[in-house]
Amino acid sequence: MSYMPDGWTLPALDDLNRPFFTTGKLMLQHCVDCDRVQHPPEDICIWCQGDHLDYVEARGTGDVYSYVVPHHPPNEKLTTRVPYNIILVRLDDYPHVRILGNQIDAEFDEVTIGTPVRVTFEEIADQNGGATILLPQWVKA
Amino acid sequence: MHGTSVVVGVGESTYYRAGRAPESEFQLACIAIRNAVADAGLQMSEIDGFVTYMDFQRNDALRLMTALGTGDLSFSAMSWPGGGNISAMPIQIADAAITAGYAKNIVVYRALAQGQFGRYGRPPAVPYATGAAAFKTPYGEASPAMNNAMPFTRYMHEYGVTHEATCNLSLASYAHAQRNPRAIRYGQPLTREDYYASRWIVYPYRLFDCAQENDGAAAMVISSADRARDLKQQPVYVKSAAAGAEQRAGLQATYNEPYFPYARRLHVADRLWSQAGIGPKDVQVAQFYENFTGSTVMCISDMGFAPPDGIEEFLSNGNIQWPNGKLPINTSGANLAEAYIHGFENQLEAVRQVRGQSTSQVENVEFSLAVGGPGAPVGSAALYSKQA
Ligand SMILES: [Zn+2]
Repeated sequence: MSYMPDGWTLPALDDLNRPFFTTGKLMLQHCVDCDRVQHPPEDICIWCQGDHLDYVEARGTGDVYSYVVPHHPPNEKLTTRVPYNIILVRLDDYPHVRILGNQIDAEFDEVTIGTPVRVTFEEIADQNGGATILLPQWVKA
Repeated sequence: MHGTSVVVGVGESTYYRAGRAPESEFQLACIAIRNAVADAGLQMSEIDGFVTYMDFQRNDALRLMTALGTGDLSFSAMSWPGGGNISAMPIQIADAAITAGYAKNIVVYRALAQGQFGRYGRPPAVPYATGAAAFKTPYGEASPAMNNAMPFTRYMHEYGVTHEATCNLSLASYAHAQRNPRAIRYGQPLTREDYYASRWIVYPYRLFDCAQENDGAAAMVISSADRARDLKQQPVYVKSAAAGAEQRAGLQATYNEPYFPYARRLHVADRLWSQAGIGPKDVQVAQFYENFTGSTVMCISDMGFAPPDGIEEFLSNGNIQWPNGKLPINTSGANLAEAYIHGFENQLEAVRQVRGQSTSQVENVEFSLAVGGPGAPVGSAALYSKQA
C-alpha cells in the first residue's frame, strides 16, 4: 500500500538516481574531491567541478520546511486520490539539502511547517517489469 | 547602448477561452502579426526577423515568413524554455539584434491554441519521470500550480504574508479587466467574498489565484529608433531588458537553491535596474506575469518594490488598483483576467501604457515595466520608456 495510487508515475532509474530510489537507504551524492554533498545528483560536482563522486547515507531525519496540498487533480489517475500532501523536508545532517516527499502518516490537513520527520521506504513494484522501487517517504519522528 | 530599439507596433488576435478559437494556432499568430505590422504602419515586406519563446516546433520563423509574405529573413531566434517566465526574453533578443544591426524590423510573438495542442494545467499521467521530475512526480507533484505553490507556503510562514496579499492581486486584475473589452473576464467582476469562497486548487492557491488558460496570439514589432521616427505610432523605447537566473539556479527545479523561498528574480531585477539607471520608485505602472498569485507576490518583492515582510502592505489599500493606486499593476487584467498568452499580452499592455492607449491608462507614464514571470529558474523583464 503506497501513498500515491497504484500505477502512478515512478522515477525513471538512471545511474545517478539508482542509489536514491532502490537501496532502502537515504543515499545522497557526495564529492570525493571536496567532501560536499549535492542533491539532486549530477554528472560532476556542482561545488568544485570534480569528477569523483560517490554516495553517502544521510541520517534520514529532518523537518517539514514547506508543503502543498493538491485538491484539484491534474489528470484522471489522481481524481480519487486528492486531496493529499506533498512536503519538502530539510535534512538535519545536510541542511542545504531539501527532499520532496509525502508525509504518509498525516492526512492532507494535518501537515505543518516545522514538524520533525524521519525517512521510511515504500516498496513499489514496477508494473512494466522494471526494478522494484524503494521510494523514500516520511513519517513524524 | 540601451534605448536604441523601439516598439513600433503591437497587435493581437481575439482572445478566447481555452479550446474555443475557431482558428488554428498558426492562423492566430498570423492575425496578431498582421495587426502589429499594420499598427506600426509598416509593410509586411519590410519584416526581416522573428523572435519567440518556448515555441518548440510550432509557428516557426520559416513557416511564418513564407505564409505572411515578408521580405528576406535576416534574423530569427528563440529563447530557452521557461514558460511565461521568459516572456520578456524575446524583447531582450530583439533589442540586441536591432542594436547590432542584424535586422531592421523584428516581429516578436507568442501564439497559443490549447484546444489544438493541450492544456498546461492538465499534464497527462506518465509511467516514468526523468531528470529533476524523477524526484517530484512520484510524490504527486504533477502540475505547474503545485510547482509554484511550494515556495509560497514557506514564504507565507517566514514573512507573515497572508492570503490578503494574493486576494488583492487577483482583485486588481479582475477590476482592470472590467474596463478592457479584450479581456476574457470582461463583464465578470470578482469580489473579495468570491475569492475566499472559491475552491482550493492546491493549497495555498484557490481558483482565483490561478491564471486562465486561453487561445490567442499577441505580437510586437521592434525596429530601430531611426526607423521609428517615420512610422505611425509614438515610439516606445526598450529602455532595458534583462533575462537570466541566479548562480546554481538549476537547483530550483527541486527547491534546492541556496536562497529560498523567493520568486527567483533577484538577478533579473539587478540587471534590469542597473542597465536602466533607474529604480522601482521611478516606474509609474507595472505588469507582472501571474501564473499563480503567490509567485507574483514574491516577484513584486524580488523586483525591489517592497521587502518580503512589507509586500502585503504594499499590495493593500488599493495601492495597485487604477486609478488611485500608487503603482497600478496588471492594468489590462493580465493572465488572470485578460488572457493567458504565456505572459506576452502583458508586454503589449506595458507598451500601451507608454503610448497612452490602455483602457486603464495611468497618467504621465515615463517608465512602464513588464516582468516575465516568477516561478521557473530562468526569468525576464523589460522596461519601456517614453524617452530614449
Ligand atoms: Zn566537489
